[in-house]
Amino acid sequence: MPTIEVQRQLLPILGSPNQGARFFNPELPSSEPFVPGHRTCAGCGPSIQYRMTSKAAGDNTILVGPTGCMYVANSSYLCTPYNVPWAHTQIGSAGSFTAGVAAAYEAMIRKGKWQGKFPNIICEAGDGSASDIGLASISGALYRNHDCLIICYDNEQYANTGIQASSRTPYGGMTTFSPPGPEVPEGKKLFPKDLARMMAAGHPHCYVATASVGYPIDLMNKVRKGLNNKGASYLMVYTPCQKGFVYETPRSIDLGRLVVECGLYPMWEWNPEKRAYDYSFRPQTMRPVSEYLKLQGRFGHLHAEHIAKLQKFANEQWRMMGVELPEALIQAADAKNLVNMSAAAEAETVAQTI
Amino acid sequence: MATAADVKKRMVRINGCVASAQAAKYADVDVIAAYPIRPYTATMMALAQMVANGELDAEYIVADSEHSQLSISHGASSSGARVFTGSSGVGVQFAYELYSPISGSRMPVQMMIADRTLDPPGDFGSEHTDALSTRDMGWLMGWSCDAQEAFDNHLIAYRIGEDPRVLLPQMVCQDGFFVSHITGDVELPDTGQVKEFLPPYKHPYPLDPRHPVSHGPQIMPEQGPPLQLERARAMEESMPVIEQVHEEFAKIFGRKYDAWLEEFMTDDAEVVFFLQGAHAVTARFAIKHMRDRGIKVGMVRLRTIRPYPTERVREALSKFKVVGVIETNMGLGSVSSGGVLYSEVCAALYESDKRPLVMSFMAGMGGEAIVLKEFYWMTEKLMEAQKRGKIEKRTHWVGFEH
Repeated sequence: MPTIEVQRQLLPILGSPNQGARFFNPELPSSEPFVPGHRTCAGCGPSIQYRMTSKAAGDNTILVGPTGCMYVANSSYLCTPYNVPWAHTQIGSAGSFTAGVAAAYEAMIRKGKWQGKFPNIICEAGDGSASDIGLASISGALYRNHDCLIICYDNEQYANTGIQASSRTPYGGMTTFSPPGPEVPEGKKLFPKDLARMMAAGHPHCYVATASVGYPIDLMNKVRKGLNNKGASYLMVYTPCQKGFVYETPRSIDLGRLVVECGLYPMWEWNPEKRAYDYSFRPQTMRPVSEYLKLQGRFGHLHAEHIAKLQKFANEQWRMMGVELPEALIQAADAKNLVNMSAAAEAETVAQTI
Repeated sequence: MATAADVKKRMVRINGCVASAQAAKYADVDVIAAYPIRPYTATMMALAQMVANGELDAEYIVADSEHSQLSISHGASSSGARVFTGSSGVGVQFAYELYSPISGSRMPVQMMIADRTLDPPGDFGSEHTDALSTRDMGWLMGWSCDAQEAFDNHLIAYRIGEDPRVLLPQMVCQDGFFVSHITGDVELPDTGQVKEFLPPYKHPYPLDPRHPVSHGPQIMPEQGPPLQLERARAMEESMPVIEQVHEEFAKIFGRKYDAWLEEFMTDDAEVVFFLQGAHAVTARFAIKHMRDRGIKVGMVRLRTIRPYPTERVREALSKFKVVGVIETNMGLGSVSSGGVLYSEVCAALYESDKRPLVMSFMAGMGGEAIVLKEFYWMTEKLMEAQKRGKIEKRTHWVGFEH
């Protein structure tokens, strides 16, 4: 059977500094595949991510939106914020619907039914979809290596249904399904599913990375690397939720940095060629988790022992990345020391000593 | 139109599963979503081999579940590809969430179903409950009774579903084993005939970066009813298209099917069976035998249940004295405490001036064959009711009574 070779896009990697870029970037296209006017909350982390991601992808793009905030708050019938094709799919269908779109374009281009370069096919799944109900469908899409990018915009909860715990909700995070009370003082008792590592370990032929809205250029470059990779890619992006985390609206980007600086959101890339993790990303500073926690109402109920547990968890993440721990952070993983520090002001002085 | 001289048809002896796979090949499908469950699996096995042999250029996706099969199909159809998928039994149910979104977004996905009884326990036999439980989800739906009809129904369903006046997904059903695994002579057409009958799939608003559209955005409650009404109308308005497509099929392929009903020996019949699918084949033999003994019995076989041909069923069944509905499905706690076909028949007859007596037979359950003597037994029940002028009871479980 005569077939047409499928031509693919190659997006340039941005040369701008990896960190601290909060300025106009002439390297980026002026087009806005995701425009304002939607109904997301002020300071919404996922929608900030959505704009960066779609801008990095450009106009030859198709977006898939499983049920979640980025479906419910973005799309309103007879009014749409998407300047590129977008389709809703079921919350459990993140990977499978996306696979269908990718397979359709492979076949249609090959059989001469559609002319043009293979589009960027991006799925924007919330962490509920990606870590719970749609996990198998995403694993299927990665395993079969469809040419697509699956993004988990990780706001660490089911937000549009009114803040319920997901497998990504951190230990101690208060949600309406994990409220603190006399019997369960910490609220959420379980530590989050290590979703991105699970994807990298189980689908080592895929490009997998973690990112945060606190580092826009890094995020956009990871999007482009994911799209340039011929095959499936997976990106998990920290996207704070003002409504669920309960913080001051203008601090979304700050949280996106603090979560990385305190070690709760390790930033890495999985290189499918080398079959190895790349931990070369380093935040400008390291801080104790208390600095991140204290800005958020969802952690307001935590006792010293709970904060120490989270510090211990963060320290494990640093170790996994091969980072040597400053003594102060080791000390902060012990509840007794934390009680001694007690005041937030004292915790801040720890940061400056690192 | 192709002339007889340039048409290269050939007869093959294949089962229903392979006939369905052949139909997908002739339809030149672009994306196939497979997941194994007996008995429909053989269709996907055949298609996998065709792709491996280079006979069919399609993306063959081994999905991770039936839910994913239907989601893949939804995504691919939304992008403008012709899609084929299928399932059986609990697999049909595992994908249930997707049936309404697919018909609601008006994507003409085609799904082959070889029926299987639902659990518990794991019974491989054919029972129509799997597909029938989805009958109100906005999919065109009908049963074939042999491999040739299965082949034909797939092509017919693509043509109807992809018609811009219709744009609805289709469930093309066949009984597990009785059709799916029994070989019969099937005439495979010339590709030119199929080209003439089935134009390439062209959706009016696919996910295409050159013409951006948003599919399935969130709506407010007051925006729901008009969309539901539109889907309900699409079902109703598909009816003339269904008839037209069956006529065109007959012209091009030479096999004439009534779109809605097959009537067998009904001209002077007083009592009739009303059923769907493969048991019609045995019914025809049973009826012939009983006719030899002077019994005025016939059969009406429903070929398309969605959209439901209410008027046709009423006209057809009003002629008779007694109608025996052979269910082959479970409607636990339903109107007749038997199957779900009974209420479809009775509702169609309600506005008739001449209402026959209607009774329901739970036969062929769990995939059991309905044997000739059971047809004779059921006929006796129908004749007793005719004599008595009323039914003894609404539902008989065949094989559990004397």
